[in-house]
Amino acid sequence: MFKGLVKWARIKSPWILHMNCGSCNGCDIEILAALIPRLDAERFGVLLKGSPRHADVLVCTGPVTKQMKERLKRVYDQMPEPKFVVVVGQCGSSGGIYQGAYGVEGGIDKVIPVNAYIPGCPPRPDAIADGLIKLLASIAKGGNP
Amino acid sequence: MVCRKGVESIDILLTLLYLFIFPGFIFLFAFSLFTEYLDRKIYARMQRRVGPPFLQPFADLVKLSAKEDVVPENAERFMFTAAPIIGLAAIFAAFLYLPIVSSTGLHSFNGDLIVVLYLLTIPTLAMFLGGWYSGNVFGQKGGMRVASLLFSYEIPFFLTLLTPALIEGSWKMADIVTFEITHPLVFIISFLGFVIGLIALQGKLERLPFDIPEAETEIVAGPLVEYSGRRLALFRLARDAEMVVGAGLLAVVFLAGPEPIVHLEPVYLSWIVGALVFLAKTLFVIFLLILIKSAVARIRTDQMISFAYKWLIPLTLVQIFIAIIVRFLGGI
Ligand code: SF4
Repeated sequence: MFKGLVKWARIKSPWILHMNCGSCNGCDIEILAALIPRLDAERFGVLLKGSPRHADVLVCTGPVTKQMKERLKRVYDQMPEPKFVVVVGQCGSSGGIYQGAYGVEGGIDKVIPVNAYIPGCPPRPDAIADGLIKLLASIAKGGNP
Repeated sequence: MVCRKGVESIDILLTLLYLFIFPGFIFLFAFSLFTEYLDRKIYARMQRRVGPPFLQPFADLVKLSAKEDVVPENAERFMFTAAPIIGLAAIFAAFLYLPIVSSTGLHSFNGDLIVVLYLLTIPTLAMFLGGWYSGNVFGQKGGMRVASLLFSYEIPFFLTLLTPALIEGSWKMADIVTFEITHPLVFIISFLGFVIGLIALQGKLERLPFDIPEAETEIVAGPLVEYSGRRLALFRLARDAEMVVGAGLLAVVFLAGPEPIVHLEPVYLSWIVGALVFLAKTLFVIFLLILIKSAVARIRTDQMISFAYKWLIPLTLVQIFIAIIVRFLGGI
């Protein structure tokens, strides 16, 4: 019963941390647009947090540049378990148009484990909200804790 | 003898009930979560949003308590853990002195108003200590902001809460509420004090427009930046409970708390009515706090301090002056 309660709480209150690992800023604007009053992410308990210590879901955008690689790892390590990673945009999924550039490492999944990808260049705000909801649904179904 | 023993054990039972269930710890716990829900919901409605579901604060609390327990390398382990517990304990202790069910609280004595005021200062200090010992630059910066803003709202808050006591001539909350209900003119005389108390309480709770210590856009999350999991949950709970107790204190001192008491038989019926009246008044104060929060934006540190010293404190002095004149003219 207690486990069920904790799981319910986890699904009901995903606090997100938004991190730009070298994107062109297109995806970041769309993430902010997904949090506007019109879509109202707080209905699902989503809050945007400033500190990695408070967050449950790391929302990353953009290809990982060589400079950002260490920082991304550090922010990921600072988040307390259980934590999830959502990648927004084509660049974050595979490197996108920056693939093979001299300063770029590649997709986010080259550096940290990723739970969900939201493709698009950039994805629509409702697609981002939908991706997050799908992640929560997959947690509800069993998946990882 | 046997009979006396029976009476005593019922008394003990009632006291325990008062301490732990209603209106003690469990009730305060539930009511603070409800206040947070109300806060977020009304705030959302004012922004034309739907807002969080009813159990949201509870879900946040459970989720945070089930998260990994992180103590940063640079943090002082003992103080880091103790700070939220001290803050929460002080607020729970303060709550017991408020007259909730009848005009006397659990234990009423001359000067309980001052005890509650001092107990309500401790969470601020706990916040400062927690930020300071978390070993993070943002945390220390936030802690310093907490400490430096302390005097800009604490002085008006203390002074303004003492005006009804001055008019009445007693430091006992039970006397103040009974006096207020027999002399309704006090409400008009101390109206200015009530407004000042609201603004100062808003600063005390570090809510908009005075949320300078945890300004997200400047210093991430202020003193709470390194807190995670259980400790963060305790701090959040302490914040909500502080809102309840602060609003309750204003309701007691300026709006006469659980009075007017209707005397019903058996006695616990009149306690229930008293508690309902108290809750209605507290919710009214909380509603006003939420309105302030959703109507304004954050101001700078220097603006807050000059606002406090140029406006709040002089106005408080005016209020005290009025109270003294009223008393000099022979009371009301
Ligand atoms: S996916 Fe498109 S919009 Fe997003 S960071 Fe890459 S190039 Fe920019």
